[in-house]
Amino acid sequence: MEFDKKLENKRLPLDAFMAERNEVLQAWPTGQDVDFEEGVRTQQALPESKRFSAALARAERDGKTLIQPRAGVALVDEHIGLLRYLEPACDLLPTTIDAYTRLNQYDKAAEGIERSAAAGTSLLNGFPAVNHGLAECRRVVESLKKPVQVRHGTPDARLLAEITLAAGFSAYEGGGISYNIPYAKKVPLERSIRHWQYCDRLVGLYEEHGVRINREPFGPLSGTLVPPFVSHSVAILEGLLALEQGCRCITLGYGQAGNMVQDIAAIRSLRELGDEFFRAAGYHDFQLTTVFHQWMGGFPENESMAYGVIGWGSAMAALAGATKVIVKTPHEAAGIPTREANKQGLDCTAQVLNMVREQGFPPSPVVEREIEIIKREVRAVLAKVFELGQGDAALGAVRAFEAGVLDVPFAPAACNAGKLMPVRDNEGAVRVFEPGRVPLPADVLDYHRERVAERARAEGREPVFQMVVDDIYAISKSRLIGRPR
Amino acid sequence: MSQPTAVLGVIGSDCHAVGNKIIEFALSQAGIHVVNLGVMVSQDEFIDAAIETGAQAILVSSIYGHGEIDCNGLRGRCMERGLDHIVLYVGGNLVIGKREFGEVEHLFKEMGYDRVFPPTVDLSNVAQCLKQDIAAAA
Ligand code: B12
Repeated sequence: MEFDKKLENKRLPLDAFMAERNEVLQAWPTGQDVDFEEGVRTQQALPESKRFSAALARAERDGKTLIQPRAGVALVDEHIGLLRYLEPACDLLPTTIDAYTRLNQYDKAAEGIERSAAAGTSLLNGFPAVNHGLAECRRVVESLKKPVQVRHGTPDARLLAEITLAAGFSAYEGGGISYNIPYAKKVPLERSIRHWQYCDRLVGLYEEHGVRINREPFGPLSGTLVPPFVSHSVAILEGLLALEQGCRCITLGYGQAGNMVQDIAAIRSLRELGDEFFRAAGYHDFQLTTVFHQWMGGFPENESMAYGVIGWGSAMAALAGATKVIVKTPHEAAGIPTREANKQGLDCTAQVLNMVREQGFPPSPVVEREIEIIKREVRAVLAKVFELGQGDAALGAVRAFEAGVLDVPFAPAACNAGKLMPVRDNEGAVRVFEPGRVPLPADVLDYHRERVAERARAEGREPVFQMVVDDIYAISKSRLIGRPR
Repeated sequence: MSQPTAVLGVIGSDCHAVGNKIIEFALSQAGIHVVNLGVMVSQDEFIDAAIETGAQAILVSSIYGHGEIDCNGLRGRCMERGLDHIVLYVGGNLVIGKREFGEVEHLFKEMGYDRVFPPTVDLSNVAQCLKQDIAAAA
């Protein structure tokens, strides 16, 4: 459906939302079973222990970092078995959706379900929730004791939201930017943002009915050498878009870069910037939390080495004070983990979190300086975004990607410029060596270039694309920085 | 012989873009003309591009685990469209889960791929194989 009105960051009027809703529910037969009032009753009947927002609030109060895996397989009983197996080893549960469903290819998902049933093993990389439909999704939630989130990568996630939220899932990952740029090739940004306004409006409607659903923009983006200011800018924009539609429980995310100072500064600045921008936009009654993703780029194939990466990420999540951490597994480099491998990642994470929990990172001028740099970068980029959008966050986001002001490295989307080139500095922090058209303040850009030049001198080579390639492989080859061999 | 041409892309509904950009970079540096279709490429798009550019090889990536579904049948379609001697390579995280590579290799060779590569493959070796295989198929 094309939209008769220009994109703007305004709450969708209820009548227009309802008209659109009729179409959305007809996109696949399982949509017909969704009933909003019944969804509200299902959500209201959830005990406190199964409410995502309540678990996050408790963790914030206790200064605890919660543990969450990724997990999803093709068939319902196998999926329930998998989550039940993981449940004792984590605090929050996921349901990771398969890639066909993410692209609304429900006929292909159906083929995947059939072939998986025949093969006796999952041939899909996630749980096809739309095909399984409302009753089966509800059975998933009912079979578990802990809160469950939908985790995906879906540019048009409207039907998926309708079905899973009515089934009792109490958190919904994604956003119109973060689920387009890294996950799609040809979806216009204005379309995915508009489709996510629908999802946010739906969450807002639940909120109006006293049901709090957690919303989490996808922080890591391409997962590969993304400078913190890039993902922070996107996360804050998506937070603003969600708040406008009535969402009140927002978790902002960040994917581990690998340098300790930068990672701690990133989570702290993310929280403070979120608060700053949300309040400046006139919102005051929101619940803001953070999520730290263990390293999202290429992993080492050797499982012991993978545990090293997982443990280091866990330590950073705790020291940075993230509300939750998303956990990787020793199978990461190879393929979808077995349930055993998945639990091993959780156990490794719990061990480190428990050991670091009581320790705080000491007050540090180096961390403070890094926080200041990230804040100045984000403020500069977002100022330009709002200027381009004439004050409107949605329009500004679209125009900023067009102009290359927002630019995500290594992303597949045609609407992303791909001109910004990151590289690690001599201590492994992710810096910008080619800014493209991203408007960083001149002295900040000088700082980046100086840090990159320092590494180039140390390695006796120029910072060209080969250095970036070496950095992309580095962690999978047992290093943080891709030094020449 | 003139410069060999290869069509490159990530098949199906797969969005993994990083390896794709690096393969293009590495093979180009090794003197191969790479026609890169990027991510989310259908079987027909691979074949159309190969016909259009007169490529001698198609390099298929599948990273996200649906390779068993997406990669099947490409050889047959190539034959139907008159690409009888085209070299077909496939690589990446080809199946769901951590499986013995020998099994995976067998599975994809059965589908008609000339060579099958694990994610850890050294791309300079790939460039060498490719030049040899193209010369042998000509
Ligand atoms: C980064 C990443 C992402 C990013 C991708 C950003 C982007 N747009 O590119 C994000 C976060 C968005 C993402 C999303 C998903 N991902 Co992902 N991702 C990864 C990760 C961590 C690294 C991939 C990478 O960039 N590696 C670096 C590059 C350089 O290496 P490469 O991709 O392997 O490519 C090299 C080789 O494979 C080889 N090669 C590849 N193709 C070919 C072809 C030929 C002919 C040859 C010779 C060689 C060759 O050469 C390349 C260059 O060296 C891997 C796990 C890992 N490797 O550690 C998972 C991984 C690939 N992802 C996976 C999955 C399943 C997904 C999702 C479906 C979500 C999910 N269910 O978990 C979605 C994708 C949705 C979709 N529509 O495709 C799985 C695949 C599982 C499987 N096969 O069993 C992996 C293995 C993780 C896991 N263990 O579960 N992912």
